[in-house]
Amino acid sequence: MLVLSRKVGESIVIADDVTVTILEVRGDVVRIGVDAPRSVAVNRAELLLQVEASNRESASPSEDAVASLSKSLRDTQD
Amino acid sequence: MSAATLDMGVIEFAHPLPGFPEQTRFTLMRVDDGGVLCQLCSLDDPALRFLVAPPTVFFPDYDPVVSEDALAELGITSADDVAVLVVIKAGAALDTTTANLMAPVLVDTVTRRASQVIVGDPNQPSAAPLVA
Repeated sequence: MLVLSRKVGESIVIADDVTVTILEVRGDVVRIGVDAPRSVAVNRAELLLQVEASNRESASPSEDAVASLSKSLRDTQD
Repeated sequence: MSAATLDMGVIEFAHPLPGFPEQTRFTLMRVDDGGVLCQLCSLDDPALRFLVAPPTVFFPDYDPVVSEDALAELGITSADDVAVLVVIKAGAALDTTTANLMAPVLVDTVTRRASQVIVGDPNQPSAAPLVA
């Protein structure tokens, strides 16, 4: 991993069009500004991991599970 | 969601669903007539599907805040053109079935571009019980 030291107000540039700026450091919290094109997705790492895990757990439920759920919902509506 | 909005043909994800980097093209199919459940079926991997549903049926107050950049990237210019879906995790029974409110799937029904957007709201859980 590349490690750089930056002060508040300083930036790093990634590739041609992503700029990451240190906005504020207060205690153990660092506020960061990311300036990137719309096509570049920027997410908090732990949230992305959580969605990845949720998607994997949700993927391709068995036909039985889908049929059962569908029936339960119909029964609930009735 | 009306039957018409389901007739979307091929939906192309601007970003792959997190965890599934290779699959970007899906179709949306209703699970059964009159029901709200749909399946997003991968065209790249026939074995891959996701159970999805419009959230308003189960979560009437759900109103995810999505960044303008995320909308603009999909080419969304009007809220009328957006279909919101949430990914359902089927449990053994209805009361253990959950929906991912943290990361709704937005589909532009005109451009047929989609994205699973992570809303930065800590109050939106990734596994909300479908029925209380």
